[in-house]
Amino acid sequence: MTRTMTRYLRLAWFLGGVGLHRLATYRMDFVLGAGAFLVRVGIQTAVVGLVFRQVPAVGGWSYHEVLFLLGFSLLPRGLDHLFTDQLWELGRKLVQRGEFYRYLVRPVDPLFSLLSERFFHPDGLGELVVGAVLVGYAGSELGLSLSPVQWLLAPVLVLCGALLHTSVKLLFASLSFWTVTSMPAMYAANQVSEFSAYPLDIYHPSLKALLTWVLPFAFTAYVPCVYLLSGETGLLGWLPVVTAGALALALTVWRRGVNRYEMTGS
Amino acid sequence: MTARLRRYTPFATSGLQSLLQYRSMFAMTAMTAAAGAAVTVFLWRAVYAGTPGRGPGGFTVEDITTYLLVAQILQVLHTNRVDDEVAAEVYRGDVAVMLVRPVSYPVMRFFACLPVVGANAVLVGLPVLGLFTLLVPLTAPRPADLLLFTVSTVLSVLLAFCVNLLTGMTGFLTTNTWGVRMVKQSVVAFFAGQLVPLALMPGPLAALAKALPFRGMIDSPLTLLLGRYDGWAEAAGLVAQQLAWAVGLSLLCAALWRTALGRLEVLGG
Repeated sequence: MTRTMTRYLRLAWFLGGVGLHRLATYRMDFVLGAGAFLVRVGIQTAVVGLVFRQVPAVGGWSYHEVLFLLGFSLLPRGLDHLFTDQLWELGRKLVQRGEFYRYLVRPVDPLFSLLSERFFHPDGLGELVVGAVLVGYAGSELGLSLSPVQWLLAPVLVLCGALLHTSVKLLFASLSFWTVTSMPAMYAANQVSEFSAYPLDIYHPSLKALLTWVLPFAFTAYVPCVYLLSGETGLLGWLPVVTAGALALALTVWRRGVNRYEMTGS
Repeated sequence: MTARLRRYTPFATSGLQSLLQYRSMFAMTAMTAAAGAAVTVFLWRAVYAGTPGRGPGGFTVEDITTYLLVAQILQVLHTNRVDDEVAAEVYRGDVAVMLVRPVSYPVMRFFACLPVVGANAVLVGLPVLGLFTLLVPLTAPRPADLLLFTVSTVLSVLLAFCVNLLTGMTGFLTTNTWGVRMVKQSVVAFFAGQLVPLALMPGPLAALAKALPFRGMIDSPLTLLLGRYDGWAEAAGLVAQQLAWAVGLSLLCAALWRTALGRLEVLGG
């Protein structure tokens, strides 16, 4: 067991290095990719700024609180983006073009094999850096002082959020085993995740319920931020349950899909 | 002239046929459009929630809701896939095949995107509009304003085509057209007034947005739809500005396309 673990870790380390090497070769692509995220987040921040030019609070949230939420939402998203964006390729074309078999013939787990094809998407770095800067700035403006427990929990919250993003992406990408290409569905789910960058209190209750219990993006930013900003635990207890559930569901769908693919053998 | 234009009708019809094979695509586009609209609509409705009557920028709650919703629908009409298709064809070298045909590639692209725009309007725009009509109160436009809006929308589609063609042409320069497209999308959405109406921007930013061509894609049609103009002169001015930008950008596209072709190298002819 530990031997397989170390083997996978060493492989991931090595393949991550290969990914970094690509960074140096396609420097312009990296600059454009990371720059694109900077522009996108910059504009999102500008929109929040313009909203708060009109009113001091939205849905009970102040300007700096919303900035904190926006910044925090980028951390799990960026972390997920850094390692698992190869799933987009699965949803887009790997099944459609019959190229998926090549992940089944390698002596590692197919999911690892697929992700390892591009283990390091440097575009995600842009999101992580901007997210950290926004959280730091908004936190200091708010005079936020976290308790030791909150400091300890914060990285766990980010990690759980990243796993939630990954689960949803894996689930929708795996649908391509049945529908040939699931790119539009993945795109739609990704679009819905944008909701998590704003306080859920402003949305219609039905939408709020959807984001909490169906596509649980509320747990990637809103729930952790409520806890970090106010200390109220609220829905926080559900976070590990929802994360584990989403991950289990996504992996089941993935495994079923892979088995199905073997059967048709196309 | 008509004979020359008739050459392009097959591109329009074949575009429509290939489109109708992927009908589920429209359901997905509708879902993403509805999600996008919901984010901005709810955000701004929360701002206007405490102010009865006319709030910031002279909008009522219904006005701002209508503005943001129709802005999102216009954005769907502007997503004509010209940017990624041109970029991909240039990048793969497929564009060389097109050059052998006795048609102009940019004009061909324009005709091929028309059915996409039409289908998006009917299969995405109308259902999303219908859905939101059930959920939130909207402002009903005056008939004359609706007419002005229609004219303005046609021009905005033309503007979007030019902007997307220019974006696609960056495929001549870089392989990461995905990054370029993403930047374009964000910048255009912001300066067109899709996320924040130009009337709510602070002075210098609004002045900058008004000087750019993107305003004609969202803010101008909606200013006309909501009747937020002072007499016919201002309405005509808005349409004239759109027309001027459409002509200007078309000329720019034609000139750049020619220059780019002069430099094009395709391997393995």
